[in-house]
Amino acid sequence: MSLLASYIEHAVAVFPSLLRGAVITIEVTTFAIFFGLILGTIAAFGKLSKRSFFKIPSSVYIDFIRGTPLFVQILLFYYGIPGLINGLTGEVFRIDPIIAGIVVCSINSGAYNAEIVRAGIKSVDRGQMEAARSLGMTERQAMKDVIMPQAIRLIIPPLGNEFIALLKDSSLLAIISVHELSKNGMLYVSKTFAAFPTYISVAFVYLALTMGISRILNHIERRLGVSDRSE
Amino acid sequence: MIEVNNLHKSFGSLHVLKGITEKIDESEVVCVIGPSGSGKSTFLRCLNLLETPTSGEIRIDGEKVTDPKVNINKIREEVGMVFQRFNLFPHMTALKNVALAPMKVRGLPEKEAYDRARDLLKKVGLEDKANVYPSSLSGGQQQRVAIARALAMRPKVMLFDEPTSALDPEMVGEVLNVMKDLAKEGMTMVVVTHEMGFAREVGDRVLFMDDGIIVEKGTPQEIFFDAQNERTKSFLSKIL
Repeated sequence: MSLLASYIEHAVAVFPSLLRGAVITIEVTTFAIFFGLILGTIAAFGKLSKRSFFKIPSSVYIDFIRGTPLFVQILLFYYGIPGLINGLTGEVFRIDPIIAGIVVCSINSGAYNAEIVRAGIKSVDRGQMEAARSLGMTERQAMKDVIMPQAIRLIIPPLGNEFIALLKDSSLLAIISVHELSKNGMLYVSKTFAAFPTYISVAFVYLALTMGISRILNHIERRLGVSDRSE
Repeated sequence: MIEVNNLHKSFGSLHVLKGITEKIDESEVVCVIGPSGSGKSTFLRCLNLLETPTSGEIRIDGEKVTDPKVNINKIREEVGMVFQRFNLFPHMTALKNVALAPMKVRGLPEKEAYDRARDLLKKVGLEDKANVYPSSLSGGQQQRVAIARALAMRPKVMLFDEPTSALDPEMVGEVLNVMKDLAKEGMTMVVVTHEMGFAREVGDRVLFMDDGIIVEKGTPQEIFFDAQNERTKSFLSKIL
């Protein structure tokens, strides 16, 4: 019984610190979702483009990011890039860990988003573009008024999964001492050695966050479905 | 109205159109028949540049559409197309399907575009379906909306790519009737079809295509009852 009591005590003691961490986690994830969406959309259209000037950089970006671990990308960006700049210019260059975390997560998420967006656009029936073009619409008009509204409904669900994965993956930023949720848990454990109550608390906070995202996404999905009908 | 001169089209090493030369007059209704793979759909799709011809020349209303400098979108505004599988925009009501292009392409004010769309839906007998989404329409109804949608741009020519092939038999008639009305109004029409009844009743001329060329052409009477070419005869014997 005393074990349970001490676990509860630790869980309560660590909780404020976990909440502060959760705020950082949400912050990083929100920014990364935002920039990742922009990057992903650009890369998706780049890869769909017939011009190699857009197509090749987009493909290289997507393949590189998806083919390497996020963990390594974090290390490369936070330690590698400043080191490279230092070697080239002799100047000391430091990046704020949170900024670095947002940048890496955005770049990482963007690559996955790009494939989701591309797949969504691709899976709209070819006849839709042909019908729009045969009416004299430009490719841009057809994309905006005909293809994208249909693609978005296909894109939203997998994009939601991607956001949830992103939130969980942001825990890797602990390695560059971003004081997010996991890192704050680790710090508490290093002081108290109370691993079980701390990490189970960390896990439950993540669970609460991901369930929150799921709820928001479900809401958006339903809203989109409805607004399309009543337009 | 349409002049085609030595039109060729290849997809990679596949030579689909092997020199089509044809002249279609204003208000003429021309039916294109032929076995599948004969290139009739490709021919039609070349006319509004959904396929880019490999070589040859197409003029529509005097304008050389195969000129690389030509504004493809301008050409397509004048050439309506109806597809085998309707290709209605599923996220828009029937009315919006019809009104979209006049608003976006012609810059028509919303009210005018919707009025025009309502008139056209009435014309194809679907005024009561204006606010219905395509998924709730039958195939025949969808195809009639698609015809209205193409007409909304007030095209000079209408192309029909097997407009009744994807329909249940009992819905073929309603679509053909709309097309017949259109023909009576003097619309220039090119119709890829297997509906011999339609071709005979409405068609001014029939082109029989096989293996990328026009093998034989003539009035419906000549083609259906007095075909000269062996390939035409053999094809007709299979479908009539």
